[in-house]
Amino acid sequence: MTSEAQAVTRTVAEVPLARRFGVIWWGALLASGALVLLLGYTLVSVTLIGVGVWGINIPFVWGFDLINYAWWIGIANGASLFAAILVLRRHDLRTAVNRFAEGVAFFAVICAGIFPIIHLGRPWLFYWVFPYPATFQVWPQFRSTLTWDFWAISTHAIVTSLLWYVGLIPDLATLRDRARNRTVKRLYGVFALGWRGSVRDWAYHQRAYRLVAILVLPLILIMQSTVAFEFAVTLVPDWHETRQPLHFVATGLAQGLSIVLLVAVLLRWGLRLGSYIDEGDIDLLGRLVLASALVSAYLYVDEIVAALLADGIAQEATFNRLTGDYAGLYWTAIVYSILIPQLLWLKAARRSTVACIFVGFSIGVGIWFDRFSIIVGGLQTDYLPSIWRTYSPTLAETGLFLGTIGLFAALLLLFVRFLPVVSMFETRHDEHEEKSS
Amino acid sequence: MTQRPYGIMAEFRTPDSLMDAVRATRRAGFTRIEAFSPFPLPDLADELGIRTGIIPWVAFVAALIGAVIQYGSQYWMNAIDYPLNVGGRPLNSWPTFIPSTLIVAILWAGAATLLGLLVILRLPRLHHPVFSVHSFERVTNDRFFLCIHGEDPLFDGEATRDFLQGLLPQAVREVPACD
Repeated sequence: MTSEAQAVTRTVAEVPLARRFGVIWWGALLASGALVLLLGYTLVSVTLIGVGVWGINIPFVWGFDLINYAWWIGIANGASLFAAILVLRRHDLRTAVNRFAEGVAFFAVICAGIFPIIHLGRPWLFYWVFPYPATFQVWPQFRSTLTWDFWAISTHAIVTSLLWYVGLIPDLATLRDRARNRTVKRLYGVFALGWRGSVRDWAYHQRAYRLVAILVLPLILIMQSTVAFEFAVTLVPDWHETRQPLHFVATGLAQGLSIVLLVAVLLRWGLRLGSYIDEGDIDLLGRLVLASALVSAYLYVDEIVAALLADGIAQEATFNRLTGDYAGLYWTAIVYSILIPQLLWLKAARRSTVACIFVGFSIGVGIWFDRFSIIVGGLQTDYLPSIWRTYSPTLAETGLFLGTIGLFAALLLLFVRFLPVVSMFETRHDEHEEKSS
Repeated sequence: MTQRPYGIMAEFRTPDSLMDAVRATRRAGFTRIEAFSPFPLPDLADELGIRTGIIPWVAFVAALIGAVIQYGSQYWMNAIDYPLNVGGRPLNSWPTFIPSTLIVAILWAGAATLLGLLVILRLPRLHHPVFSVHSFERVTNDRFFLCIHGEDPLFDGEATRDFLQGLLPQAVREVPACD
């Protein structure tokens, strides 16, 4: 097994240890870097001038900010949930996609975390939601979903990043031991914390890793529900529904899986990791995406049925979303997140790189429109006719959104450049088991 | 008299030969031994009598502490220290205190487990005697190692070296003490 195992380690390890990395990578990093600059610019402008640069008004106090927040959280949660399930089921797919599914989740939660802070208006006072002995001796209002959100985002960021890092330690040690350049060796060495791979270390490492993977499952469900509670606890007719958490959890999972599929296909193609993320893996991911799209479809139907059962203004509010000023958003969401994924029924589509990229991208787009439809379209009908207004985003908001996409892409590009995207020790383990069985 | 070495290390090509070597070493009565491998070997961990049962307890106790602190602080801050009446709800409106209690319990459990792991493994420790052994860097790639520690009561330089040589390893090397 040794020569094969070494071959695996070499292919995966050579990616971070290569001296040059090609023009496409640099091009992509420059493009996403430009978007990160745009992010910086929009963040500075909203901090200096205030939220007046956004198109928000009363009742649309959230607008783009919460749309994008809810969207990124969906990606983070979907990807995290998927990674955790793979680890717990000891599924073969985990070796191939677990590492970057966790990466996707971590980067998405970083992007998501920007929005609630910046939308406070005075972002430098964000620490007011943290219970600390303030001068005025007033504590945070813990019955507010905003404080739940503070704990949820920080917990998700801390637990995901720790899980990701602890999983990386043995592979960082491999990079340390394979690096030819002394500085690179030292750098990986410091982050590998002196991992020696003793059998005792492995036993504890695996136990702790699996245990935290279990903890991620309830965390994701609570966190996504907390996002949904932000809507459900208000008195807005379209939002004040107990089905809201289910809707966010299910559509968020579809979205997270679709982004994992998208990234998996891109990595497979871009880094030539065809034999580690094989056709069977992508096929299985495709089926999962399709299944989750069908669950989303069920929830869209449920939305309509719930509206039919509701009376008065709640019913009117939902049907206004389907037929009113913002109906386009709703139907775009249906087309992109429900209809286009049906392509994945075809085996040829699941095996095709282009089709997988297309579908992965389209669900991402579709769920974004769904969030837009809920947050903006849902606010159009309220008890007070005086607030029946419309909302459209300004350039500062669009720039903020594009900027977080750039940040996400840049983090992902740096990740594939400097860290092993496929778990090397799991791959060695699998090959050994295949050999001995 | 020269300083007693950290130990003597044998290198193997496959996990099975490492397993056989560990069994033989334990039969010979050595107790202070350590095995190294490029990936987890649960069977060998069982053979060496490694118990990881403390990990779930760390998580459980940390979760409990986190939950009690979070619920307690919400209750104390919003009901006792600065009673806050929101829409006539009871001061101890427990349903609204539950979401962050659960989340913070998970935060404590997750952080305690992963940071506790580092404490249990005594990491970070960037320098260690075993790193000075020639070819030990292959432990993170494709080689398996068995080390008999110098502190072992049966340890006796040449005899231990001969014993390890008898297990048919790729190589036997001394791990010099360094401090």
